[in-house]
Amino acid sequence: MSDSAADARVDPPLHADEVTMLRSYLTYHRDTLRWKCSGLTQEQLAQPLPPSDMTLGGMMKHLAIVESSWFESVFSGGKYMPPFDAVEWEEDWDWEWHTAHQDTPEELRALFDEAVGRADAVVDDALARGGLDQESVRKNRSGDSTFTLRWILVHMIEEYARHNGHADLIRESIDGQKGE
Amino acid sequence: MTQTFDKNTRTEAPIRADELTALRGFLDYHRDTFRWKCSGLSQEQLARTHPPSTMTLGGMMKHLALNEVGWFGSTLAGEGYPAPFDGIDWDADPDWEWRTARDDGVEELRALYDDCVRRADVSIDEALARGGLDAESVEQSSTQGAFSLRWILLHMIEEYARHNGQADLIRESIDGETGE
Repeated sequence: MSDSAADARVDPPLHADEVTMLRSYLTYHRDTLRWKCSGLTQEQLAQPLPPSDMTLGGMMKHLAIVESSWFESVFSGGKYMPPFDAVEWEEDWDWEWHTAHQDTPEELRALFDEAVGRADAVVDDALARGGLDQESVRKNRSGDSTFTLRWILVHMIEEYARHNGHADLIRESIDGQKGE
Repeated sequence: MTQTFDKNTRTEAPIRADELTALRGFLDYHRDTFRWKCSGLSQEQLARTHPPSTMTLGGMMKHLALNEVGWFGSTLAGEGYPAPFDGIDWDADPDWEWRTARDDGVEELRALYDDCVRRADVSIDEALARGGLDAESVEQSSTQGAFSLRWILLHMIEEYARHNGQADLIRESIDGETGE
């Protein structure tokens, strides 16, 4: 996605059914993150805005595992996608944040795009079978409830939007670029 | 003098719920997250920036108050803005709410915000009674006709989540407090 990626984003339709609306907002925020991370070097993607230690590269790798975790693992009951399936998480729960600086911008973007593609395949497959009330295979931490596909989709929208808020300030501190 | 909000009183959006309950649950969660991010700070702290961004938490609170009555009161219900937003020459001063928040007392800002949230909820209830989530806004968009209540609710969730992301970094820079 180029620097003009902001203009390539598609605004969610003002009138649509629930599925179309949720997926449109999710796509909009995935593309917003792609735009906020575009046109930067590996060094710039590893540059924090202190005192926070978040970086845009770490955020892209984090959202890749968030995609795989919610859709492939929690909803479908499968494993994390590579390379997340082989990580010793007990040794470093923030592994994806801590290792992103070793990855090139192209590698990070390819990983992110692959995670989004896999997540969309899970959603497509689920919606071919039923609606947004479908429940996840895995349960919540306390083990007393599943998640609906609806909840996961709205959660992903607010998860992305919140991180895009972080990305707004971090990006502005790197090269002055702003914008919704 | 500070605003108070205990983050432990936030209610998580229910993980198995119908569309309306899920959307209102997420909106309320983000309103409370924002109250928490602004709580316990002095008027001077609410006016601090995290450069190079010029945003402040106080300005954000006044901006989100305006968003509540703008989207739900003005656009959705076709009502005029309440005070103090009704007498502003927005063309001459488009960032009035961001710019003037530093002159407001901490409790005054929070009272304005809470009042706008209350008004917004009344407008949501009224729209639901006339058309459910497909209810159309009284005011039209510039090119695509009316907004659906579904679109406005999801927009407000992503609007809040994005600003809460910015608030995360601003708050951390003020006193080190972090957290989702």
